[in-house]
Amino acid sequence: MNVFTCNGCDYQSMTAKYVCPKCRQGKFETREVSSKGTVYSFTDIHIAPAEFAGIAPYTVALVQLDEANVKVTTRMALGVQIGDCVELDRIEDGAFLYKGV
Amino acid sequence: MTDVYVHGIGMTQFGTFVDRTMKDLLLDACVQALEDAGNPRVDAVFIGNFMGGAIYNQEILGAIVANELGLGFIPTAKVEGACASGGIAVRQGVLGILSGEYDTVLVAGVEKMKHASTADVTQAINAAMDNDSNEKHAGLTFPGFFGVLANRYFYETGASKKHLAMVALKNREHALNNPLAQFQKATTLDEIMGARIITNPLGLFDCSPMTDGAAAVVISREKSSVHIRSSAQASGPTQMQDADDLLSIPAIGESGRMAYEKAGVGPGDIDVVEIHDCFSMTELLAIEELGFFNKREGWKAIEEGRTKATGDKPVNTSGGLLSRGHPIGATGVAQIYQLVRQLRGTAVNQVDGARLALAQNLGGTGSYSTVHILERV
Ligand SMILES: [Zn+2]
Repeated sequence: MNVFTCNGCDYQSMTAKYVCPKCRQGKFETREVSSKGTVYSFTDIHIAPAEFAGIAPYTVALVQLDEANVKVTTRMALGVQIGDCVELDRIEDGAFLYKGV
Repeated sequence: MTDVYVHGIGMTQFGTFVDRTMKDLLLDACVQALEDAGNPRVDAVFIGNFMGGAIYNQEILGAIVANELGLGFIPTAKVEGACASGGIAVRQGVLGILSGEYDTVLVAGVEKMKHASTADVTQAINAAMDNDSNEKHAGLTFPGFFGVLANRYFYETGASKKHLAMVALKNREHALNNPLAQFQKATTLDEIMGARIITNPLGLFDCSPMTDGAAAVVISREKSSVHIRSSAQASGPTQMQDADDLLSIPAIGESGRMAYEKAGVGPGDIDVVEIHDCFSMTELLAIEELGFFNKREGWKAIEEGRTKATGDKPVNTSGGLLSRGHPIGATGVAQIYQLVRQLRGTAVNQVDGARLALAQNLGGTGSYSTVHILERV
């Protein structure tokens, strides 16, 4: 998957900014990294808005990527714990769907 | 330091008022504040409101207030900053006076939520997230964000679900003494811990309710017994995955830092606090961000009862968003209402001799924060 890295400092992000929020000068370049990472935290969403009610309960996990100083918000099946090793299963409707390695 | 003072306050009962219109609630709070201030000439009106357009089909709230109250052809505006709409409206009033443009400003906040279905309100609240993001597409919700924070907080500290429950219980116990609060039924730690899970580990009592209500303040450059010593505002990441430190909400910390600096005081000087406890977890982080307790140690202060009305750093003596209620656009103004009563010595859960008070109002999942420091003079 793609992450964005500042060409002026060590700031990295899942999303590109107009200017680097850390050094305020650098511009962003894309870098391809492995989707593999570790669950940093999560929640199991039982009460969901109408558009997601059909798939509730589901887990939203914040994943720390192995190959970049970047966290990515993902959706997973229930049963996740902090520290689990995970990877991208597929991208669906703009969401990163992750699964255990 | 500002040269702005609070002259009048007003607030409706918070709760379910399906038979009262938004205009009725808004004007009720405004009239109370104007009468409390001795009916001064008003130079401008700012109204905090978040979803009046989305679920009540009503905008132009500023002009409606000016017209219905006969204030003349004065400038008015509606201010939107998600759940910080009220705090930002207060700040716009302060800035209008500081600029020299106005002498006296009426600021109010209002929300009507209980007439709509939970699905419609949830949908409207989600407008306060960045909806053009992979994070939103993953199904993250507003409470979900604070659920993710809570699980990480538990992982890094000795805190557990019991500490969240203790925050909710404290605020409920404060609300029991507040006749304007939405929830006035006693509860127990067991009932809170056993309640239906919304987004783990947050249960029903960890989440602020849907509420109808309004609050208002009259502020002026003329002196009064309550001085707005400083007003500050900051913004922060609009996506969870953009946070450098998940257990920090920089908008709260930064708005607090600026407010202390402008007021020339520190966290240790503050006698009484109203904080944005949209979720029990939010209160834990906010008391750390505002420097009342060390980072990752707010839960210990909760355990020791230090944030109770009887503790050394009383937080949410009104009952907070969790139990006083959270009519979104009114919340930031209602915080000022409670603190002015504390400084006048007429509050529910009165803190003896309160002289310096701090209000912190949060919008979105850390998108906006305002801090106001008030002083009895
Ligand atoms: Zn940079």
